[in-house]
Amino acid sequence: MNCKQVRKLFGAYWDDEVTQAEREWLEAHFASCAACRTAYEDLGRTLELVGSLPRIDVAADFAERVVARARRATAEPDRLVGGAPRWIPITAAAALVAVIGATVIQWVGPNMVPTRPGTTLTTPSIAQPTLVTSVTKDGHSPDASAAARQIASGMTQIPDSLFDHDEDIEFILDPVTLKKGRALTVVRAPQEPPRAQQAVITF
Amino acid sequence: MARVAEGDERGFTELVRRYQGRVTNLVSRVLNDREASDDLAQEVFVRVFVHRRNYRRGSKFSTWLFTIAANLAKNEIRRRVRRRNWFSLDALQEMVGDSAIQLADAREGQDVTLERGQVQEAVGRAIATVPEKYRLALILRDIEGFAYDEIGQMLGIPGGTVRSRINRARGMLKRKLQPLIRRDVT
Repeated sequence: MNCKQVRKLFGAYWDDEVTQAEREWLEAHFASCAACRTAYEDLGRTLELVGSLPRIDVAADFAERVVARARRATAEPDRLVGGAPRWIPITAAAALVAVIGATVIQWVGPNMVPTRPGTTLTTPSIAQPTLVTSVTKDGHSPDASAAARQIASGMTQIPDSLFDHDEDIEFILDPVTLKKGRALTVVRAPQEPPRAQQAVITF
Repeated sequence: MARVAEGDERGFTELVRRYQGRVTNLVSRVLNDREASDDLAQEVFVRVFVHRRNYRRGSKFSTWLFTIAANLAKNEIRRRVRRRNWFSLDALQEMVGDSAIQLADAREGQDVTLERGQVQEAVGRAIATVPEKYRLALILRDIEGFAYDEIGQMLGIPGGTVRSRINRARGMLKRKLQPLIRRDVT
């Protein structure tokens, strides 16, 4: 048994919690190791000093004061138990409802978007902005060459300033709904024939 | 305690008288503050009375009582540490350091006799500089004389942790009191 092992047992030896074998080892070591013996004696003196500290005197009327204070404490509502303000559970419940609501909306989101006849779902990912030509009454876009021709003919009719022309141009920004990290773009086809030239900008 | 649980004030007064010395001593040694310990010890008993119905019959009353006392003492230490302006561990360490230096000087030549009261004061201060979690275990064991398993219940820690905390606290205290323990004290 080396000095390190012996010193680990000092506390147990002081508390008389060592086994008979440990006691014999310790005492044999003390007989041969002055440093460990001195260290244990120092510990013993320290603990004797601690143990010999005088008891604190208690005031003669201590018990009476305690009883009076206990009477007052039981007469008053206990601020320690159940003393939390009432708004805390209400706020917590409201926050919980909001979180649950947000989660539900997120999961069933696309199904809750009102759909109209003729509505089509386009690309399930975020598409690059493109210019889409006017949508026909039946909800289908003409082919690209027809669109190009229409744009070319339309260009001649567009005045220099957008604010000067007689007819309104309506811009429809498509709503984008997120579901499970994917963006769904909903293109809403107009119910009525366009009153004027119409452009749909898809993001 | 059964009488106290039913609201018997006389029983409660008897209980306070029986334990007032030990509870006051514990909180006083933990805080090293005689004046504040009276108020805190009263608060311990008030808590016992207010929460008397929470006491589980069959369990040891002193364990329950000292658990409350240890918790209140811990809270008070933490409150004081937060306030800092009232209670400064550095200042305490300085005071203990000063007394240790004086004692070391005395050992070197002059035949200075220390009053027993001075030694006890120095020991009390040295205990107060031991970190809180070690200090409580040390006081419960080496001043109040509780068994390790009872201390474990009071502090809510396993027996092995109690042993290691007490050993560490004893080692710290031995180092702090080295100048004191190597000389004769009258």
